[in-house]
Amino acid sequence: MNKTVVDTHNVSKVYNPETIPVYAINNVHLHIERGEFTALVGPSGSGKTTLLNLIGGLDKPDKGSIIIDGTDITRLQAGSLISFRLKNIGFVFQSFNLIPVLTARENVEFILLLQGISKEERNNRVAQLFRQIGLEDKMDTRPAQLSGGQQQRVAVARALASKPKFVLADEPTANLDSISAANLLDIMALLNKEENMTFLFSTHDQRVIERARRVITLVDGRIAADTATVDTNIPHELEGNK
Amino acid sequence: MIFLLAWRNIWRNKMRSIVIMLSIALGLFAGIAVLALYKGMMKSRVRTVIDAETGHIQLHNILFKNDFDPKYIIDDKENPLEKIRNIPEVKLAAPRTITQGMLATATGSSGVQINGVIPGLEYEASLLKRKIVEGRAFDESRKNEIMIGKKLARKMKLRPGSKLVLTFTDTTGTIVSAAFRIAAIYQSDNAPLDERNVYVTMSDLNTLLNLGGEFHEIVVLLKNDESLIAVQQELKKEFPLYQVESWKEISPETDLMVKTTDLYSYIIMIIIMFALAFGIINTMLMAILERTREIGMMAALGTTRIRIFLMVLMETIFLTLAGTPAGILVGWVVIFYYGRHGLDLSGMGREMMSSFGFGTMVYPEFPVEKLGGVMLIVTATAILSSLFPAIKTIRLQPVEALRR
Repeated sequence: MNKTVVDTHNVSKVYNPETIPVYAINNVHLHIERGEFTALVGPSGSGKTTLLNLIGGLDKPDKGSIIIDGTDITRLQAGSLISFRLKNIGFVFQSFNLIPVLTARENVEFILLLQGISKEERNNRVAQLFRQIGLEDKMDTRPAQLSGGQQQRVAVARALASKPKFVLADEPTANLDSISAANLLDIMALLNKEENMTFLFSTHDQRVIERARRVITLVDGRIAADTATVDTNIPHELEGNK
Repeated sequence: MIFLLAWRNIWRNKMRSIVIMLSIALGLFAGIAVLALYKGMMKSRVRTVIDAETGHIQLHNILFKNDFDPKYIIDDKENPLEKIRNIPEVKLAAPRTITQGMLATATGSSGVQINGVIPGLEYEASLLKRKIVEGRAFDESRKNEIMIGKKLARKMKLRPGSKLVLTFTDTTGTIVSAAFRIAAIYQSDNAPLDERNVYVTMSDLNTLLNLGGEFHEIVVLLKNDESLIAVQQELKKEFPLYQVESWKEISPETDLMVKTTDLYSYIIMIIIMFALAFGIINTMLMAILERTREIGMMAALGTTRIRIFLMVLMETIFLTLAGTPAGILVGWVVIFYYGRHGLDLSGMGREMMSSFGFGTMVYPEFPVEKLGGVMLIVTATAILSSLFPAIKTIRLQPVEALRR
């Protein structure tokens, strides 16, 4: 198993290359190792989401290479990239993006079904994930009946369902109140500690930044600062999360 | 899961889905109704042709129909009528003496086909008695009585009791004229035939034609339509010197009409479905536009394009197929009702209907044998309608869809 999970070399993403080029990402070198709990910060328009999209294989860079767990995803064909994302990358979105017509359990199970995992294994995995996020009693509830915090916890469970190499979270706490945000961070911190799961967040949220062990600051598409912080990321008690 | 997702997706906007299902049901009902109406009309037309015009089979002297020369007779010596009546499938065999002639009155004249009939048999063979709208049936104690069609009567300004003169050539080629008195005016569902055919008794006409017991035509009615081909073959073998024709050969326009009606009804059905397809496409595009972000998310998480394509395809098929049973059920109920009580089209005018050979009362019949074809058209509509929205969906780039 590779120690390095994400390795980007000289990555650039340019919009309007033939008229007025705008460098959303400009020559970014980034190296993330297994088990990191990293926050990507910067002002609006600094390229945080673009960089996450590139690392997540949702977008292609105009220059450079992105190596995920030893595979250069910039060289993958569309079909292979979809399969790669399914098996290796977990996504958590700002607005939860659960499928509203599926229950919480089905939303998580959906990923496992896409992977063709057996029913028994699916049931075990889903039960384990709902235990971890503290929502065992909400498994058969539809997203509309869950609070924002609960929905985002289900989204985290969904991201982890396929046992990915790492989880990309784009502003995961932006739509949450402070208690829900704290609960979510606790869960992610716990998963990071217990399962050595790698998390990379884009965020403006000071609460997330404070919990991150590494903070990368982007300005105008370039890495302006990359600092390791003191490990304050100790999960609080999960009680009262439900 | 994609199956479940597609099913639940169609119930996201219940009102919209119900409206589209009702449209499909209505479209299907309209299609089935057209098929049933055409089937009923065609069946009634065929029935009229068989029961009131040609019978199932007709036999003639092989030369008779070339120019309807009365000398080409069916010789009674071989006793063909008895032989035909002895065939178990035969319900009735009636002879007719036929000649072409001129009907004249003081005010004008018209070319007609003069049919010499045995009244008792003809009333069964062509339901002539039932068609009488003015006057009375033949009185066999009276000589030289005639029945003429309503259209001809109107044209020649004739009514029951009026006198007219028929002129024609006899079997020796001599011109013969005789005066006849109108016993009745009849009206069938085929105005052009009414204008052309007049009926006299066979005994009167045979005397004028210099014929004994001979005749020109045998009209055969069968107990059921299905034995037509078998009996025709049997008669051809039995009477190789006679022309043995089925109603399809005697009235090829009716046979053609029956065959082409199937095609026309499918064309109408396809037009209805074509209009419906735009409704389905519109609904599905709206449904997809509303879910762009969600579909982008599904793609981002690793759902393959084919799965997303299948999801949209299934949603459309579900919507279409959910409306199908309702359409078929309503169609069946309505057609069952009108099939029993009849659909009165007299509002369109009896004259107009009869000029095309149709009666005003139509008994629609549920097109069971065409249900497969109808379902195929509906399914094809569903699949074709879903293609555009489904292709539009798989062209979505997750990164762009997620931004919306």
